[in-house]
Amino acid sequence: MSQTCDLVLRGKILHLENDEAIEAAYVWILETRTGAVSDQNGNFVVRDLCPGTYTVSVKFLGHKEIRQTVNLSGNSTAQTFRLEEESLDLGSVEVHGHRDAVQTTTAVTSLYGDQMLQARGESLGESLKRVAGVTTFSTGNTISKPVIHGMHSNRIMILNNGIRLEGQQWGAEHAPEIDPFLADEITVIKGAETVRFGPEAMGGVILVNPPALPTTKTSQTDIHLLGATNGGMGNLSASYLGGSGKIKGLGYRVQGSAKRAGNVKSPDYYQDNTGMAEYNFSGSAGYSSEKLGVEAYYSYFNTEIGILTDAHTGNLSDLEDIIENGRPFTDADFSYEIKNPKQQVTHHLAKLKSHYHLNPNWKLNFQYGFQLNNRQEYDKRRGDLNAKPSLDLELFTNTVDLFLDHNLKPNWSGSFGLNVIQQANSNVPGTGVTPLIPNYDLFNGGIYAMEKYLKGPLELEAGLRYDYRTVEAARYVEEELQQSNLEYQNFSAFVGGLYQLSPYFAFTSNLGTAWRPPNVNELFSQGLHHGAAAVEIGDPTMVSEKSIKWVNGLEYESDKALVELTAYVNQINNYIYLNPTGETYVSLRGTFNVYEYLQADAFFYGFDLSGSYNFTDRASAYLKGSIIRAKNTDADNYFPFIPSDRMDWGFSYALGKKENINSDKITISNVLVAQQTREPDFDLAPAPPGYALFNIGYQKKIQLAKNQFNIGLQVNNLFDTEYKEYMNRFRYFTADMGRNILLKLNYQF
Amino acid sequence: MKNLQKLPIYLFSILAMGFASCESDDPVPENDAEVITDVTLTFQELDASGNAVGTPFSAKASDPEGIEIGATPTIETVTVKKGKTYRMNITVTNSIAGEDITEEILEEADEHQFFFVGGAFAGNILTIAYDDPSGELIGLQTELGVSSSPGTNNTQMQIVLRHALDKSYPGATNPNFPTYEQAGGETDLDITFPVVIEN
Repeated sequence: MSQTCDLVLRGKILHLENDEAIEAAYVWILETRTGAVSDQNGNFVVRDLCPGTYTVSVKFLGHKEIRQTVNLSGNSTAQTFRLEEESLDLGSVEVHGHRDAVQTTTAVTSLYGDQMLQARGESLGESLKRVAGVTTFSTGNTISKPVIHGMHSNRIMILNNGIRLEGQQWGAEHAPEIDPFLADEITVIKGAETVRFGPEAMGGVILVNPPALPTTKTSQTDIHLLGATNGGMGNLSASYLGGSGKIKGLGYRVQGSAKRAGNVKSPDYYQDNTGMAEYNFSGSAGYSSEKLGVEAYYSYFNTEIGILTDAHTGNLSDLEDIIENGRPFTDADFSYEIKNPKQQVTHHLAKLKSHYHLNPNWKLNFQYGFQLNNRQEYDKRRGDLNAKPSLDLELFTNTVDLFLDHNLKPNWSGSFGLNVIQQANSNVPGTGVTPLIPNYDLFNGGIYAMEKYLKGPLELEAGLRYDYRTVEAARYVEEELQQSNLEYQNFSAFVGGLYQLSPYFAFTSNLGTAWRPPNVNELFSQGLHHGAAAVEIGDPTMVSEKSIKWVNGLEYESDKALVELTAYVNQINNYIYLNPTGETYVSLRGTFNVYEYLQADAFFYGFDLSGSYNFTDRASAYLKGSIIRAKNTDADNYFPFIPSDRMDWGFSYALGKKENINSDKITISNVLVAQQTREPDFDLAPAPPGYALFNIGYQKKIQLAKNQFNIGLQVNNLFDTEYKEYMNRFRYFTADMGRNILLKLNYQF
Repeated sequence: MKNLQKLPIYLFSILAMGFASCESDDPVPENDAEVITDVTLTFQELDASGNAVGTPFSAKASDPEGIEIGATPTIETVTVKKGKTYRMNITVTNSIAGEDITEEILEEADEHQFFFVGGAFAGNILTIAYDDPSGELIGLQTELGVSSSPGTNNTQMQIVLRHALDKSYPGATNPNFPTYEQAGGETDLDITFPVVIEN
């Protein structure tokens, strides 16, 4: 039999010093005179190779060329190349910016480029619905929290440019305080990443990353202008990225955005008081030299969100009346006015980051983050009280990370680190309402070590971490000062691997333990949850949640098809949940349901599937779907607010000219969501029926000399279908958003 | 590059500042200003020409702890006489913060309204009409009539105070509007008084 020349050489190109992916590096095979260019994630593929020995050359501007001999025989043909920077005194050398890529063997998905362009104007939660396995837990159409594999709030972590975002994330109606416009890439890690990021990263991690700062003379402006018919939404964002010509290695970026929207329209009616206003700013400056890198970053987030008037109920009988009605009683008109009840939130985040190359193999990193979160919630109240917030919280957070990265040729790399979080939460006096959560001081210290072994098609990694946490809480209960000092500690660990089974198949597996100490609201809540007609009772004797999550991924990639399948199981012991007691509490205001925080063992498992197929150069199709099962194994029943089965699929057709086919593209998609049939024993209303939505989108890119103009036109919920999403807390009161036509303009120059 | 050598000093001074500001405040007890602890109904018997006769009497509902996990409210029984007409005044107070909420309701008369429902009105045992001195429909003052042939000696009167409702909603001018929730708004008070009817 003659030789078959269908072998593939694939691999990844990374910066030696920080494992950051290198885009647009050249991979050349001298003997065959064929090659490839690495993509955004540093990946490259060279196809149609016969078995044999080849010399591979890898080149990237400002880096030393790698020449390596590769022996291609049967199938194993994955190779990672790490390029070393050439020293600066060589003249016209490019010093690259620093944005450390996440190197993990667990399932990772990123949104960037065209997908980010399509997601512009949406909240962080909404944008991330593009990732299979990610859904949202929302409160109306303006407040949405990302849900990864059924976990949200304090069970996932969001990083704003490397700093863990610390707001009042325990609240179901508290959306992450972050401007999605500051990111040019959003990455979702679906595994338990407690070792790397600390407690609370048990369900997954979301990294919101601005572009890396330039290190050479450059200038790039990016302007977005968006409008939507539903809610009369207008959104403007501008960013400027500049590199200094005078001081080599100095770069900076400023960015700001403003968003204003009015009442959301369901197919048959306006939702009263559902407008919002958001003003954000971020800026950073950085300096990179051969050995030292310093970066300062600041971001400011300010939002005012109206809460659906009818969702605010006085007592249980009010709540039952509106649920029975199935829609708001108020017949609202369109308005931009934001009245009570509303939320006003500001968030400041400042960061200082520095790294120093001790030698080519060792790098010392230091990062400090300061955050101030102020959350004010206003209820409909009498007289002067209407102007006062019912909830007024001020949260300071300091985080310090100190870690040492190493890269020992040829196979070993890893990191040792130390991580400190300090937090102070205060209720601002004068609300005229007994605070829902106490004032508290929190300290968390953690140390960790991770190591990775890379050889040919195999990657193996493992890590271990120890954490110690104290919480000191104080509050007044009926004029009596009540203090609690709590202490938690835990070890967490993970092992993971990646194996390139064949040129087309890669397999990943990651097993990680995680823990989460109970949050203050779970420990200390006592009293009326305003507007929800519920009395919530915490339990200060609760213990930490502990989990073990096993995530497996199988990836197939060929010329025409891309398939990613993720399967996971997650066992959580002492899972904390809010349980309806079935009791009611009677006051002069009427009757209220009583809920208590309980702990039980939980078992989660599920699958995410995403794939695409190119029929021709112009026609392609995609499919994304996820299935989650979650059970309370102690009580043998189901938890509330677990996403139902869903899938999103669509066809695209490219209309562009031959040399640039994808510059002009039309996409039709269909979202199918099943009814949640695994309901908890108690719910205020049964799960809404399943639904199907159709969307249509058109995208055009126009190249004007060196500038680029992007136009996007989207119609969401094309047929104005009336539906209720199970994961929306306001499904009790209103149907979801009706048809929405969006125009998105973007100019880059 | 000299400045860079001092960088660690700058870093640590910023750090020290950050950590110093990071201590929670001492908690301050809050007076629950929104809470209603006492609702008093005062009855003044009226004669056929609307003049006061006899001495007024009252019935009170109280919940001294407000909305907290604790005791359920105590609600006194209203005792009225067959075939008589009364002027009923409602006073609402917050004894925790020492506030007269009746005043606040009057000030925001366009946003508040009492509705009177329950068996007493459904069965025409009692009849009620708004009689607020300002002429607005609030319900702080009403005229309450007792049927001369009630057919029972005890019934129930449910008093609901709605806040932020649409007062011009069709039907909302009726003090016994049974589906008051359709006018929007939320409930501030919902108390059911037992009523005893004497001969």
